[in-house]
Amino acid sequence: MVAFHLKTTALALAFAAGMATQGMAAEPTLDLVGPLSEYKLYVAENTAQLVTDTEAFVAAIKAGDVEKAKSLFAPTRMSYERIEPIAELFSDLDGAIDARADDYEKAEADEAFTGFHRIEYALWVESSTDPVQGYADQLLTDVKALDARINELTFPPEVVVGGAAALMEEVAATKISGEEDRYSRTDLWDFDANFAGSEKIYDLLKPLIAEKDPAFVTKTDANFKAVDDVLAKYRKDGGYVSYVELTDADRTVLSTRVNTLAEDLSTLRGMLGLN
Amino acid sequence: MGQSDRDTGPSRRRVLIGLGAGVAGAFAQEAAADAPMVNDAPHGDAQTAAQSVPFHGPHQAGITTPRPAAGIMVAFDLAITGPEDLDRMLRLLTERAEFLTQGGPVPERDPRLPPADSGLLGPVVAPDNQTITVALGDALFERFDWLRPLKPAHLQRMVQFPNDALVAGQCHGDMTIQFCANLQDTNIHALRDIMKNLSEFLVIRWMQQGDVPPVPPAPDGSTPSARNFFGFRDGSANPDSNDAALMDRIVWVGAEEPAWARGGSYQAVRLIRNFVERWDRTPLGEQERDFGRRKMSGAPLDGGPHATERDVPDYARDPEGKITPLDAHIRLANPRRPETEKNLILRRAFNYSNGVTKNGQLDQGLLFICYQADLDAGFIAVQNRLNGEKMEEYLKPFGGGYFFALPGVAGPGDYLGSGLIAAARSL
Repeated sequence: MVAFHLKTTALALAFAAGMATQGMAAEPTLDLVGPLSEYKLYVAENTAQLVTDTEAFVAAIKAGDVEKAKSLFAPTRMSYERIEPIAELFSDLDGAIDARADDYEKAEADEAFTGFHRIEYALWVESSTDPVQGYADQLLTDVKALDARINELTFPPEVVVGGAAALMEEVAATKISGEEDRYSRTDLWDFDANFAGSEKIYDLLKPLIAEKDPAFVTKTDANFKAVDDVLAKYRKDGGYVSYVELTDADRTVLSTRVNTLAEDLSTLRGMLGLN
Repeated sequence: MGQSDRDTGPSRRRVLIGLGAGVAGAFAQEAAADAPMVNDAPHGDAQTAAQSVPFHGPHQAGITTPRPAAGIMVAFDLAITGPEDLDRMLRLLTERAEFLTQGGPVPERDPRLPPADSGLLGPVVAPDNQTITVALGDALFERFDWLRPLKPAHLQRMVQFPNDALVAGQCHGDMTIQFCANLQDTNIHALRDIMKNLSEFLVIRWMQQGDVPPVPPAPDGSTPSARNFFGFRDGSANPDSNDAALMDRIVWVGAEEPAWARGGSYQAVRLIRNFVERWDRTPLGEQERDFGRRKMSGAPLDGGPHATERDVPDYARDPEGKITPLDAHIRLANPRRPETEKNLILRRAFNYSNGVTKNGQLDQGLLFICYQADLDAGFIAVQNRLNGEKMEEYLKPFGGGYFFALPGVAGPGDYLGSGLIAAARSL
């Protein structure tokens, strides 16, 4: 961890020095160093968890245990979904791990369709682990590669700060309609993870903006609470009920809050003087 | 690469103009310089861009306002819980609508922040005849105890007519905004502005974009009605929107409605697919009999060879429908009898083209919009007369809904729905 910390610090220092010469409104300061290294730790914890959880998930598939694999699918994905802005920096792995059938011309039948959602399709639609034995091995290899690459990564500050809004954009643009986990209907787990990942970044940066813009903090806190209150209605046994139980009215509330969070959090980079 | 293309175009022309000055062949050089280039924008019209429709008045604009070439109807679901939310939303919406319809420079921000405006219309928003017309749906009034008692007397949920094939996601909504402007980009800019600024209140439920083809004036100086996607002139018999007394009777609601609603109007929206391939394979005579007008001129069927769409059919002289069939579209829609005067509506439709269906047929039709003082006596009565018409073979309504267009914004300080909010607070 120490090595990463140093790397992040050095980068933040270099970045702060470069920006200071531009003489614009807010300047990125050494204040960002703390939040960035904290976030790096958060991501490292999540990728380590992802490797552990994926090992169990893949073991269930290798053992041909459809029910066990089904029960592990949604929780395993959580640690990936929390850190998506960083995971997406590696587009080859992100595609292999988390692509959906509509990313491919032949949809579910496409050989290139791999990862979590191909396995989800096997478990819920094909009701068999047979077609995805190879994909399961590949998933574990890819997840381990992701963990290794992220541990080597110097986190770009604008990606971290921008990640708070990016996670909300993800939900607003590609998840709110329930298209992510279309076979298992476990979408609400993903929502939870995306919101948590966004809120983590926001919470780390909050001390830097609380004095500058208290109204922003009040409004954003309220919107995070609003999405959490909606999700809370659907929690069950440490997880979530099926997406199909989400009412139209609650989806409207989620959608407006998520869009407003995306709108407001998109100003974080500028507020902190990042380009 | 795109950037360098843009850079070389004008500079090349400046060089040509400079070379041309004072040398033989200057005219030829300048002609070459003025010749349009492939990446030049189509020529806009500064005069039409500057056209603006007053925002303040007893009624909202966009109802009796002459219909410009481009329209979008957007239905929203609202995430509000009490009168305070609705009040904040309506005030903010009024503020945006006033700016967007009257135009002006967009604010500048620190470039490290997302820009305040999408930039679609450049640094200064031209009004371009923009109107923004806000209407509330039955769903909104019914959802809240503090709104239900204030619902306009005739507002109701649209129900399926016999020929409808309603698609749930394309029907109803808490609120509609009708955007109209000379150019569709102006409407799109306004929609994006409202989405960005009001994201905490609204989510789009459905939307439909449409156009009306501009029509050159007739030799006598009159403006013929535009054609719909059946190729027929649409709107020929519309009531005269410049006749204020007539509009008071046909369009604007009056004393029979809650006080807050006066000056508003019922908006009926119908998304109506036209089966254009089949229509184009139908004999012209049959098309004209089904519609009740001549296709090219728009004249009624009982008119002479020089009749125009302005001529009024005389159904009294044709009681058996030998000239204009009794079930012709225009005869059913408006039988022109004293007792059907109360069924008159003001139509303000746009043509839509949505690409292609999975069967490979064109997905085209009519974004039908009409306004009336009494929804039951207006659109609903007219549609009930039209049920079973011959034209049903060629059209299929699949969406839309009924809404109530709010009264106008009286002046600075007032806002859309202020009367409704005041009434809700005093319940």
